[in-house]
Amino acid sequence: MDLRYMVKELWYRKRRTLTATIGLAVGIAILITMNALSSAYTEAARMPLKEIGADITVQVAGDVPETLTGPVFACSAVTIRKNDIDQIRMLPGIQGFAQALLVWVFDADRFTIVLGLDPSNPDGPGVLRSQVTDGRFLEKGKKEALVEASFAKNFKLKTGDTVTVAGETYPVAGIVDASRATKIAVAHIYLPMEEAQKMAAASKQVQTVSPFGKDDANILFIKAAPEQIDALAHSIKDILGDKASVATPASFLKRLGSLFALSDKFSLVTSLVVVVVTVLIVLKTMAANLTERAGEIGILKAIGWSNGNVVSQIVGESILQCFIGGILGLLFAILAASALGLMHVSIPIPWEMSPTPHFLPGGGDPVFRTLRLPVHISWQLAAFAILLSCLVGAVIGGFLSRRIARIKPSEVLRYE
Amino acid sequence: MNNHYIISAADLNKDFDSLQVVKGVNLDIGKGEFVSIVGKSGSGKTTLLSLLSGLERPSSGRITLDGRDITNSSENELALFRRDTVGFIFQSFHLIPTLSAWENVALPLFPVKMHMAKLKERALELLRQMEMEHRADHRPSTLSGGEKQRVAIARALINNPKIVFADEPTGNLDSATGEAIMETLKFLHTENGLSLVLVTHDLNLAESSDRIIHMQDGEVLS
Repeated sequence: MDLRYMVKELWYRKRRTLTATIGLAVGIAILITMNALSSAYTEAARMPLKEIGADITVQVAGDVPETLTGPVFACSAVTIRKNDIDQIRMLPGIQGFAQALLVWVFDADRFTIVLGLDPSNPDGPGVLRSQVTDGRFLEKGKKEALVEASFAKNFKLKTGDTVTVAGETYPVAGIVDASRATKIAVAHIYLPMEEAQKMAAASKQVQTVSPFGKDDANILFIKAAPEQIDALAHSIKDILGDKASVATPASFLKRLGSLFALSDKFSLVTSLVVVVVTVLIVLKTMAANLTERAGEIGILKAIGWSNGNVVSQIVGESILQCFIGGILGLLFAILAASALGLMHVSIPIPWEMSPTPHFLPGGGDPVFRTLRLPVHISWQLAAFAILLSCLVGAVIGGFLSRRIARIKPSEVLRYE
Repeated sequence: MNNHYIISAADLNKDFDSLQVVKGVNLDIGKGEFVSIVGKSGSGKTTLLSLLSGLERPSSGRITLDGRDITNSSENELALFRRDTVGFIFQSFHLIPTLSAWENVALPLFPVKMHMAKLKERALELLRQMEMEHRADHRPSTLSGGEKQRVAIARALINNPKIVFADEPTGNLDSATGEAIMETLKFLHTENGLSLVLVTHDLNLAESSDRIIHMQDGEVLS
């Protein structure tokens, strides 16, 4: 196998080389782009949960509050008992765990969404620490509140003021702008978990509809390895029963609906079709090229090249040509991915995960998380595409060269 | 077997389907001998050259080339044997169009593991002998017929062959260029002691050889 000879054969037979190389490059570009697009939708579907520091959120549906006075639970997030929480926490595969308590408070003068959280836990609503715009985040053991920026603006609250919810007054430790970061578990006021638990436990409306103990919660945030998520979701449903609402990236993917389904299935079908068409293009072009070179190959054999020498030369040429096609295809795919990365995708948030009551103005409107489509070409995908290109070259080169290498030099010379 | 012979052929026959192209040829060619095979078109001279050089297998008979019986050698064995022992010069030059002159000269030894610099040096040396060094980097499409044939002769010599087979080497050249090419071949024979088998239909060219073998209808007449 001689690299110089290979390069010259490809360089001076430009038309055929270009046909095969561009054909393969387009095929590889489509293959990479479709797979990157599919991964981008999968990644996008992870974002709503990722932004709130979780891979899984858990709620349990219950009854509608009888009267909307004082603290109540949304019917989509009623009590999750401590013993159930402890059981879930022990499930294998869990990498991070946080609990929270979402309470709607209907005071005489205003409606407030309250979220109780554990200030010392970085998972779940603990990620809001990075969204504090003024003052500081909550500190464990302190009776204080963090106020959402828009709520603070409406009610002219600032750090150091006090805010009263369900008859309790809390100093404002800081202002947080959570709405920019997430659409899930957004509240007007964030309280330490134990304060929210006390509030819920003391509420007659809560206890009537969904008996609540002081260590219970109503939203769980779980971090897990991607391959464990589905199994965990299944186990959690087994523990909490049919009314459990377990949100995972897969459930968001389903909500992306036909667009993703099309992209996902289209990606698979297109990949297969592209590989087949690409192989046929390269096969046809190379077969024509070798037929044209039959005389040349006869001469090589006449001057002392063995069958193996001829086969390795042609396979080498084929691999080199397909490698160049693969690299070119990767470059095309990078350009396509850059263009697709400018697209935005709107992920619908399930109504039960929206903290705003649907019966309030604006509460029933669909909520979307709109983000730029995160189209990235992983090095694994790039390496796979290049290896696939080389493999196509090796298989086609091997297939064609074995036939042409059997040519007898005397036959070529006889018909010259 | 006589050690003085580079080629010995005994009762050589070659059939293509029902057509007998070479009939019962017995032939010995001595080491360092310059033999011309002459005959009309279709007389079987090129087929005989193919048989003697190991390009073609006989239907029956026996061939010994450089002391080795090649009658039943496999295709690959014959290829390697040709690379080590034989040089070819063809009427149509048969240079590889994508390679430069020096690369064409070095082509037989591309599959051999040796430094490219050394191989190039050897190819350039042969081109120098052919007075073609200045055209070493030119591709065949830019060379004249005579220049192409000189490159082809250099290619035939790159492996230090014991015998060179030339099939109508001047057939595609004008008479002046043809004469020059013949002078080169004669020089290689006389100065280097190279065994040379020339196939031609031109008796004038054959006259410069040590021996002329006449062929007609597949048979050696003399």
